[in-house]
Amino acid sequence: MKRWLLMVLSLTSFNSHAELSGENIALNCFNCHNRKPAANSAIPSLNGYSRQRLQQAMLDFKYDKTNATLMPRIAKAYSDSEISAVAAYLSQQ
Amino acid sequence: MTRLSRRDFLKTGAVSSVALLNGCQPLFGKAASKAHVVVVGGGFGGATAAKYIRYFDPNIRVTLIEPKAKYITCPASNWLFAGLATLDQLSVDYQGLKNYGIEVISDTVIQINSKQRSVTLSSQQSISYDRLVLSPGIDFRWDTLHGFNQELSQRFPHAWQAGPQTELLNQQLQAMPDNGTLLICAPPDPYRCPPGPYERASMMAFWLKQHKPRTKIIILDPKRSFSKQALFEAGWKQHYGYGSPNSLIEWVSLADNPLVSLDAERKTLTTEFGDHFRGDVLNIIPPQTAGKIAIDSGLGNSSGWCPIQPMSAESSLLPFIHVIGDAGHYSPIPKSAFAANSEAKVCALAIVNLLNQQAISTPNWLNTCYSLITPEHGISITNGYQVNAENGITAIKSAGGVSQKTDPASLALEAVYTQSAYYNLRSDCFD
Ligand SMILES: Cc1cc2nc3c(=O)[nH]c(=O)nc-3n(C[C@H](O)[C@H](O)[C@H](O)COP(=O)(O)OP(=O)(O)OC[C@H]3O[C@@H](n4cnc5c(N)ncnc54)[C@H](O)[C@@H]3O)c2cc1C
Ligand code: HEC
Repeated sequence: MKRWLLMVLSLTSFNSHAELSGENIALNCFNCHNRKPAANSAIPSLNGYSRQRLQQAMLDFKYDKTNATLMPRIAKAYSDSEISAVAAYLSQQ
Repeated sequence: MTRLSRRDFLKTGAVSSVALLNGCQPLFGKAASKAHVVVVGGGFGGATAAKYIRYFDPNIRVTLIEPKAKYITCPASNWLFAGLATLDQLSVDYQGLKNYGIEVISDTVIQINSKQRSVTLSSQQSISYDRLVLSPGIDFRWDTLHGFNQELSQRFPHAWQAGPQTELLNQQLQAMPDNGTLLICAPPDPYRCPPGPYERASMMAFWLKQHKPRTKIIILDPKRSFSKQALFEAGWKQHYGYGSPNSLIEWVSLADNPLVSLDAERKTLTTEFGDHFRGDVLNIIPPQTAGKIAIDSGLGNSSGWCPIQPMSAESSLLPFIHVIGDAGHYSPIPKSAFAANSEAKVCALAIVNLLNQQAISTPNWLNTCYSLITPEHGISITNGYQVNAENGITAIKSAGGVSQKTDPASLALEAVYTQSAYYNLRSDCFD
């Protein structure tokens, strides 16, 4: 598995901070979206989600295109390219 | 690459992963493969750091030192007052961490020898480290209220460390007279779990409403406002008569008229201007500082908390020691279990980078705190955080905030998520 260690600086960054790696973002998803899928958890594990599905869901949360309680507030913290990176990372797990 | 897929790590645990790795030549040099990280404190911060260091690099030896065989979580401990949980259900052991090849020692660190890079345990055993992670949680200041002291917390429990204190407070709640008063003395900022006192009042009111509806909870607050205030007050209004004379909950800001003394015999608190508050039950939550071992080791500054460098979580005062969780000065990130988990992951990644002579990757943090107002009414606050130009921590302004949807269906959903988020967070830290 490829590990991204170098800081990737982006001039187009949404929050004008250094772009985060998919892994660094994903670490903060695992607290709620358990890596060991627990039976009957209302917050689903993201294991097995495709990159496309993850990216679309996150963009829909970010741009308020879907009805949700919490994720819209979380998704707005990331640039579109960061969302793409975290979707890529998670889909490979 | 030495990195295992997450699935392998979770399936096998790190013990067998070492065997797995022998086949493919480790990427890291000899020194790195023998590096030893000692983690002090097996709470949310320490457990997560230990687990994730092994996840990022199974060649690093990790030893966790924690005196308790079972850890009782503060998160969800307020549910006890509403009869929604028992302490047993909130207990975790360290078997999950041992399965990752983490050595767990049941003992207390009594001294950190930062020059020799070793810690001394109460058994007098000395353990050396390449990097030390400190997550000792909080300690209390017992000297700020005249007439109150540590011993009196056996009569006026804080219940701010889950365990016997929580049970004691619950017994006192249940034994209250039918028209009794319970005083919650909220602590000043910064303290562990900003919404905690208000969630506690909610959970107690839920129980009292059913069993002793003529009682009253009065929150005595040194602050002018509190976390998720509008959402709490709306919930209290809806369920507990907040704002009416018969309200089960009253909130009193004493920002300009602080509590100065306790008369333990009369169970009465007095303010600077001479106002008296008498209660049948007193839940006195004292002001807080970083855990004792951190302060005794010279890791704290005048704020009572431990300054750190955000990129690495390394202490600003002593080298090779990283401080995470409540003890660290991570402001504006609040002191929560969720934040401790996030800080621990940043710390774990930075330590692995440092031990492998690699650049530290850009960190980010997330915090989310759910609270229950009733078992069917949940609310939340969340924020993302990043390093700023001054090498401090800043909240990401475009994101975060409190629950936006306050229709009954959304609040009910958030109550369900509150429980999921608790169990999943716990699992991410300890299993
Ligand atoms: C009532 C209440 C409700 C809460 N609810 C929530 C919630 O819903 N969500 C949330 O995110 N947070 C919540 N919190 C906050 C949460 O409990 C803390 O933020 C979290 O526990 C911090 O983790 P920590 O690792 O810093 O410290 P702790 O969890 O306190 O762990 C510290 C550990 O270090 C050990 N230790 C201390 N000194 C030594 C030593 N010298 N040697 C060895 N070991 C040592 C202790 O035994 C302890 O196990 C709540 C807190 C309270 C009080
Ligand atoms: C504090 C808990 C929490 C955290 C942290 C969290 N989520 Fe979520 N997630 C939820 C909840 C709750 C939902 C249900 C939708 C809602 O109401 O917000 C959800 C839903 C989702 C869904 C839709 C799942 C489906 O099948 O419909 C995706 C995808 C998702 N989250 C991705 C992420 C990613 C990526 C991260 C990390 C950047 C993340 N989440 C962090 C709580 C969380």
